Amino acid sequence: MIGDLLLSIFNSDFLYSVIRITAPILFAALGAVIAEKAGVVNIGLEGIMMISALFGVLFGYWTQSWLIGVLGAVAIGVLLALLIGFFAFEMKTDIILGGIAVNMLGAGGTIFLLYMFTGMKGNTGSLVTRELLIPTIDIPLIKSIPYLGEVLSGHSVLTYLAFLLVWLIWVVIYKTPLGLNIRAVGENPNAATSIGVSVQKIQYIAIGLSGALAGLGGAFMSMYYSQGWNSGMVAGRGFIALAATAMGRGEPVGTMLSSLLFGLAQALRTKVSGMQGVSSYLVSVIPYLVTIIGLVLYAISIKNKLKKRHPVAKGAE
Amino acid sequence: MEQEFIVEQNEIEEQEDFVVQMRGVSKVYPNGIAANKDVDFFLRRGEIHAIMGENGAGKSTLMKILFGLEQPTSGEILINGQAVAITSPNKAISLGIGMVHQHFMLVPSLTVAENIVLGMAPTDKSRLLVDYKKAVQIAEENAARYNLRIDPNAKVMDIPVGMKQKVEILKALVRGAKILILDEPTAVLTTQETSELFKELIALKEQGFTIVFISHKLKEIKQITDRLTIMRSGRSMGVYNTADITEKEISRLMVGRDVVLKVVKDKSQPTDTVLKVRDLEYTNRWNKKMLDKLSFSVRKGEILGIAGVEGNGQRELVEMLFNLNTPDAGTITVCGESIINLSQDKIRNRGVSLVPEDRMTYGIADIASIEENVISDRFSSKRFNKGPLFNMREIHHESQNLIVDYRILAKSPKQQVKMLSGGNIQKVVVARELSSKPTLLIADQPTRGIDVGATEFIRNEIVEMSRDGTAVLLVSADLNEVIELSDSLIVMYGGKIVAYFEDSSQLDDLTMGEYMLGLKHQTEEEIAKVSYD
Amino acid sequence: MTDRRLIVFNLLRGLAAILLALVVAAIFIFISSDEPLTALKYLLMGPVVSFRATGNVFNTTSFLTIFAAMIPTIFSGLAVCVMFSANQFNLGGEGAIMLGGFVGALLGIYLKMNTGLHQVVCVLAGAIAGGLIMLIPAILKVKLGASEMVTSLMMNYVVMFVILHFLNFVFADRSKGATQTFPFMETAKIPEIVANGTKLTWGFVVALIFVVIIALFMYRTKWGYAIRMIGINQSFAQYSGMQVGTVIILSQVIGGMLSGMGGSIEVLGRFNTFLWRELPGYGWLGITIAILAKNNPIFVPFAAFFIAYLNKGCDLMATYSDVPSEMIDIIQAAIFLFFAAEQFLAKYRQRIVVRNAQRDLALQEAAASQGGSN
Repeated sequence: MIGDLLLSIFNSDFLYSVIRITAPILFAALGAVIAEKAGVVNIGLEGIMMISALFGVLFGYWTQSWLIGVLGAVAIGVLLALLIGFFAFEMKTDIILGGIAVNMLGAGGTIFLLYMFTGMKGNTGSLVTRELLIPTIDIPLIKSIPYLGEVLSGHSVLTYLAFLLVWLIWVVIYKTPLGLNIRAVGENPNAATSIGVSVQKIQYIAIGLSGALAGLGGAFMSMYYSQGWNSGMVAGRGFIALAATAMGRGEPVGTMLSSLLFGLAQALRTKVSGMQGVSSYLVSVIPYLVTIIGLVLYAISIKNKLKKRHPVAKGAE
Repeated sequence: MEQEFIVEQNEIEEQEDFVVQMRGVSKVYPNGIAANKDVDFFLRRGEIHAIMGENGAGKSTLMKILFGLEQPTSGEILINGQAVAITSPNKAISLGIGMVHQHFMLVPSLTVAENIVLGMAPTDKSRLLVDYKKAVQIAEENAARYNLRIDPNAKVMDIPVGMKQKVEILKALVRGAKILILDEPTAVLTTQETSELFKELIALKEQGFTIVFISHKLKEIKQITDRLTIMRSGRSMGVYNTADITEKEISRLMVGRDVVLKVVKDKSQPTDTVLKVRDLEYTNRWNKKMLDKLSFSVRKGEILGIAGVEGNGQRELVEMLFNLNTPDAGTITVCGESIINLSQDKIRNRGVSLVPEDRMTYGIADIASIEENVISDRFSSKRFNKGPLFNMREIHHESQNLIVDYRILAKSPKQQVKMLSGGNIQKVVVARELSSKPTLLIADQPTRGIDVGATEFIRNEIVEMSRDGTAVLLVSADLNEVIELSDSLIVMYGGKIVAYFEDSSQLDDLTMGEYMLGLKHQTEEEIAKVSYD
Repeated sequence: MTDRRLIVFNLLRGLAAILLALVVAAIFIFISSDEPLTALKYLLMGPVVSFRATGNVFNTTSFLTIFAAMIPTIFSGLAVCVMFSANQFNLGGEGAIMLGGFVGALLGIYLKMNTGLHQVVCVLAGAIAGGLIMLIPAILKVKLGASEMVTSLMMNYVVMFVILHFLNFVFADRSKGATQTFPFMETAKIPEIVANGTKLTWGFVVALIFVVIIALFMYRTKWGYAIRMIGINQSFAQYSGMQVGTVIILSQVIGGMLSGMGGSIEVLGRFNTFLWRELPGYGWLGITIAILAKNNPIFVPFAAFFIAYLNKGCDLMATYSDVPSEMIDIIQAAIFLFFAAEQFLAKYRQRIVVRNAQRDLALQEAAASQGGSN
């Protein structure tokens, strides 16, 4: 039976669902990557995803356009992230606490906001109609390829965007002037200041981008994956994204790979829920355990790289 | 007749091509410390000009003012004859001034080319992406033009220090600097790298650049500079043609005390050896040998001072004495037992106390109270604990006593330490470290940056401890302190001991200067005496 | 002692934060409700007042339920106080609470014991379980430098799913509709102080006792002292000879034990079986409480009361008017943000500090001119 289970991993339907499940995690994780490159820690991704998910649906409903809905979600994500940035950079709140505050806001504040805007309680019910969902694309040539076609074609626009963004973010970080500045600010803020780059401006941009990406993740959840918004739909993906980034060493490609790993674990869990004899709960544990193990391995590898000496306190550099 | 003469002088001055003129520049910090006092500094176009002085002489501050990192309290600056207000580094860069700092401002994971064009990176046709080829081209062209060998594609974290410095220089040149300020550039270089740097600087000079070179290394200054300005205690001691002044004269002007503050003390009567440092070696991560077979001893009842300009290995030595760093070779023993790699609590248990140079990082917990700070090395002892709980009465007692004994000016023991003045903060540290009645006391710059009253008090306390039997190792860049407070002293230069004086009270500034600046070197036998073997 | 001025300032600053947050809430209420004044009435006064046609009456029962609600959050708040004091951003309280509740519940179901002893054993077991689970993020942090925040967040989910697994597959009472365990033995349940249905159990007394214990621990013992010094300046603590690694682990284990204790006391006091099917949420409340209390255990009950009061107010507001109870999260987030912002009203604090400094200087000069040595 385990053998059957293992074989079914290679089922094209299964792989299709892995990609689908990975996408929202990947969005948020890429957000964490950009923030981290600028030396900023945004742990409010979970809350941002929840709130943007809600607003994605609302904006979509009000304008009857899924595109505006998605854009709205992104805008809200940016705003929330900038709020965290404001409290961290100007008001000197610990940025971690700022992230926690947004997570709190996301938990129940969303239910409240939903009610405030629509009078509905807890979920969006039938607000999200077929037309409002993010459309899927059947890629012309690829869809005809046996097996691969079933895995790769037919995903939503946003799914493809998520994986495309891996490459795009990589380009931004490593090939653009903004990326150079971001990395300078993240590694040596003094270097940036000494040539006239405003550290704070760059950090605002970075955290804003992370909010935008988390917003995309939220929109993905409510306007495609769950076909509507309900409280508890994000279920910790924002935190898993943090772990994926840590395991991916803060690099876009590595983060994609670890996000896929988590996607795989979650897809397994869904598949196994219905099965006899295998506890879906225990399978659910896998992604989180894998994170911890991954973090441990990562930390060990860093320790080996560092020399044993304490760093010189002051002096020549 | 006289008037004509004066007029002639002025005309001569005006005809001089001064690219930079700093007149009457003073810098006084809010806490009252005057880093620069009415300094005149004139820089001729196309010369290599050194600013010399000990640590704390004010040379770095003066140049930071020129580069817009600090604002003068008074005085004026003229660039090419025009009065300017240099309000920020950007302004300085726009005026053609570039600065290479002591601590490099580079981004480790970026390549050399990327670091050079940071903030002004060339973009390709799309205007979105960095034109990396162009950046490399800019780097290579400039490197070739100024004869600074670099590898544009190497990541900064992988290149040696010498190349890092070239990158910093190129950064300044690429931004249009015509005046280059180099802050202690050879502090981090090996001999090989130093001579390479000098070749490059001379080449730059020939291309018309003006270079200011902050340093305290006599031999180097003599090698490549045209003129030099000597600073001491925030004042300028004059500007001289390098060729016309001897090393001895420079030393005399650089190293000297305006006021000699005598410390009254009985002659020391040292007994057993407490600290033994033997053949200590250490090469830092940039391959510079900071400690070279260092050997000395400190005995009970004496104060051994370590004199020397900062950067000659004193920092590394003190770190190793308290397990903040590990030597490559050699031994350190206290009362016969090694303390290398021993945890700090065990080191303290052996009777060693340290008054650290960086009191804010190591010496205190700033938002904790005076009371909490002053018991941090003894809080778990039986005396202060009654069962699971603190014996608050004993703790209050202890902190009150220490506050009184060490004259800590504060409203109450509950006050946060960060609210105290610098001198009082240091007194908190001293109170704790001295009151534990250590066998060995290491005092690292114990009176730096604090007021006269606290300074005098702390020095007297150290003398008293020594006469009561503690072995004291005093590391100080303050000449007064190290000569007057020590009973005997050694001079460190280049990671080695170059002199040992059994009786420091007879020392004169001139002699000290010569040893401190590497002009003189005692014989092996004379130095070996400090090992008391 | 002029530091009293600073203390007063901090209190006022806290109140200002709270007021601002309530103003924000009021704005939301006015926008979203058709009967905003009623909503506000229930929010602010509902928890302690019964609005009757015959006149408003102080509602003692309702008042007491607020205290009952404080039981788990006091423990959670204390746990966070300890961990945050050591500068450890361990967010694993959620998992530890649930685990403590589960372990305590299991012993309450299957272990035969006399009453009195039974509760103590169950609660102790819950505490130990909570402490043990916190060892994981703590050791990983100290030995490997792994972020305790990420590992503890992950542990929350691991703990939750493992418990759910056991709940569903091993300990489930199949005779009941919803998934839950068998009922606790009567000997394990923690009784109310007064049997009036308010669920204000003796757990409340235990909670207050622990407030005192933890306050003493943090400010009157060498371990608490070490925890705080390490939190303020780790380099200083190390140089002074403190065992930094051990103390960091200790702080997280204690946090875990307090959380576990809170979980088991709550489960055995409020319910008849174990029926938590997700993380109960007290961990996050604990963080808010610790922030409000400025990591000082003595202020935890006050902060907990305040949060519980608002929570109840929101619930009542939801019942009697049209504003959803989740308003509490918005209020919490707002208070949190304002309170934790160092710069909030910083200008005023600066004025006080400067005035203090000037006065000190004057005092010193006066003392010096008298030739005194103090």
